[in-house]
Amino acid sequence: MSAQAPANPTVPFLRAEQLRKSYGGVQALKGVDFELYPGEVHGLCGENGSGKSTLLKILSAQIQTDAGATFVNEAPVSFKSPVETLSAGIATVTQERTLVPQLSVAENVMLGHTKARKLWGIDWRGTRDRATEILAKLNVVEDVNTPVSELPPGQAQLVEIARAISGDMRVLILDEPTSSLSTSEVESLFSAVGRLRKHGVAIVFISHRMAEVFEICDRITVLRDGERVSSGPIGDYTPDKVVADMLGRELSAFHGDDEHVEYSQAIAEFEGLGLERRFEDVSFSLGQGEVLGIAGLVGAGHSELVESVFGLHPDYTGAIKVHGQSVELRDPSRAMRQKIAFVPGDRKVQGLVLDMSVLENAIMASTSLRGRARNPRPSDAVDFVKKCIEQFSIVTHSLETPVVRLSGGNQQKVLLSKWIGTEPEILVLDEPTRGVDVGAKSEIYRILLAQREKGMSILVSSSEVPELLTLCDRIVVMHRGRVAGIVSREHADEDVILRMAMGHE
Amino acid sequence: MRALIRQRFFVVLVVLVLMIIFFSITQEKFLSGPNISAILTSSSILWIASMGLTFVMLSGGFDLSIGSMLALTGIGMGWFLNEAGLPVALAIIATIALGAILGGLVNGILIGKLGLSFLVVTLGSLILFRGLTNFWSQSKTTQVISPFLDALAYGSTFGVPNPVWVMLATYLVMLYVQKYTFFGRDIYAVGGNMEAARLSGIRTSRTLIAVYAISGGLAALAAVMQDARIGAASPQVGENLVFSAAAAVLLGGTAFSGGVGGVSGTVVGVLFLGVLQNGLSVAGVESYWQQIITGLILIGAITLDYAQRKGIRFRRPAAIS
Repeated sequence: MSAQAPANPTVPFLRAEQLRKSYGGVQALKGVDFELYPGEVHGLCGENGSGKSTLLKILSAQIQTDAGATFVNEAPVSFKSPVETLSAGIATVTQERTLVPQLSVAENVMLGHTKARKLWGIDWRGTRDRATEILAKLNVVEDVNTPVSELPPGQAQLVEIARAISGDMRVLILDEPTSSLSTSEVESLFSAVGRLRKHGVAIVFISHRMAEVFEICDRITVLRDGERVSSGPIGDYTPDKVVADMLGRELSAFHGDDEHVEYSQAIAEFEGLGLERRFEDVSFSLGQGEVLGIAGLVGAGHSELVESVFGLHPDYTGAIKVHGQSVELRDPSRAMRQKIAFVPGDRKVQGLVLDMSVLENAIMASTSLRGRARNPRPSDAVDFVKKCIEQFSIVTHSLETPVVRLSGGNQQKVLLSKWIGTEPEILVLDEPTRGVDVGAKSEIYRILLAQREKGMSILVSSSEVPELLTLCDRIVVMHRGRVAGIVSREHADEDVILRMAMGHE
Repeated sequence: MRALIRQRFFVVLVVLVLMIIFFSITQEKFLSGPNISAILTSSSILWIASMGLTFVMLSGGFDLSIGSMLALTGIGMGWFLNEAGLPVALAIIATIALGAILGGLVNGILIGKLGLSFLVVTLGSLILFRGLTNFWSQSKTTQVISPFLDALAYGSTFGVPNPVWVMLATYLVMLYVQKYTFFGRDIYAVGGNMEAARLSGIRTSRTLIAVYAISGGLAALAAVMQDARIGAASPQVGENLVFSAAAAVLLGGTAFSGGVGGVSGTVVGVLFLGVLQNGLSVAGVESYWQQIITGLILIGAITLDYAQRKGIRFRRPAAIS
């Protein structure tokens, strides 16, 4: 079912030339070359926003490139859909789960492949045997009749990988495969990767954990700002060089103001917070009028941590104090009554009602906080929204335009207005500039820093380190669900934070 | 005018107008006063019940039980008047309260508070309410006679039939709630994005309970009209009500997925069904043709709406600056 070409280690199996891709006005890839040789494990490194995901999506044909060419065994190809790449022997495992939870492990592994058939229908025994065989390669000894929904996340991830290698694959792209795996599961995965490599399969490996990259990869390519910075055998690299290449020499483009709020008095204290499988033993305090950042790479638990502060995870453990008083933040309305506001990370799912107007979205939280007045559009709330549109330069046709018509950056500013309108003392944000273009990004920073001027305390979680360095007075760095350290801005740079976040040192 | 064109029910409205023009040319009696009254009064039960269903569908749910609720509260109306001996005004209030309480307690709490599937819950209450109806009435139709009810169904005020006044009042109150109250806007938020609504501090379970209570209450008001029209409380009524009501609400542009639409569209949908039925009956077309035509138009309208929205999606990137 795949291109049965002889594995020639001197000719790249998959090669990309001058790939370009832009979203709106933002160039995600600015002409990137990439070569993948048979039988190698190729580490792809880069910060969030460096173009890694875009490159992967183009290679697996989830999106189409704007310019450039792709070659398989030096023959030009243009894949139109993931189905075509798959039949060319290129499989991808992303962080998004694509298993069907209700179906058994065996069926999930064999999903999409032609099932063994007999005269009377599906050969269930054959299907199970084949699945068991593939899973054994990954050291998974799970009963293949178990529904996937009953597996722990790490095992489910391995089933996902098993499915990807169940066909006759030439290329396997693994995007952050280890973020939900335990140490022993990582070992199983790595030994399976080793076996695939021996069979001439080329593997693209992405991980934020530097140690893993150096343990398993043969070659490394580093991306930064949509460009390939360097590429070469692992022997040419040290962890320090990889980080240096990821960051580049020039410092981040945005400079926050040099005003710096010194931590004096705590407005909120968090002691020994934990949430099953997400984070544990997290303690820190948020100072009056400061901007406190929570840094972490994908899967570090920083998003879930700030969500817990707004009561989205009612089963968190540990103690939270606001103004020295113990509080139970078990649901959003209780958090709102403590004058906490939350700008969620996924504005389309958690933040906005897309079919409703700019105005109605922007006043939704402040009016529900005030309780049931007769008039659902109090004039002061409407005035506030008008002021926000002007001050935050929100581009919208009118107050009544459905937010779905707005660009990502403007949607995000509507979401910010909605929560600033509740006049919170503590503003919590998760990934405040996700999917937002560069111009809107700096405007959002300006808005947030202006709120700090007014004495608001801000807790912001982000996986973009430059963003935190622009905004924050202090930064809590998380690694695999634990606090790796707390640094103040004058002692912080990207290098220090990335090393802590990667668990390097 | 532009605002009207942008409404999701615009296409159905245009077809409705064309249909009225066609019938009034082909049949001389179609636009006569008595016939217009007949169209409206014969739609009154569907009209009132569909208003409640509109709110339920705006909230992203559905209420399969409205037909059984109509039958059950209709029997209740007869019991309050005949057995309990309540004055007619009190009997009407008690009937509506019965519908609202059953709708809120059974459907509302299970769906809003416990988060059960609205299809499963209202399917269960559909059967439950029908069973209770037969138990309460012993499957017998009883007479419900009251001069007030008679006037409600067949009298006129200022030359307009009384049922039309009830329909108009129901519509205006619902429109006001939908447009000018917090609760109304909360329904849209809950139906459009439940998670975002909850994170905004909206009490989503309360909103849902209220929505199902309103649906039950309006089914009960429809039951009062039903009893008044036929002068009796019958356990067999309302068996097809939910299908017609769903057709009217969907024709009126309220989305099955919630958060989009409104009661004005439902008015268009109900009138559409009423005019179609009346026009074809007056022309002497067999009733199965009415069903075939209604079904085709419903499917056609929804396909058209889908195509239209797809078109908007394609154009959307250009609108982003």
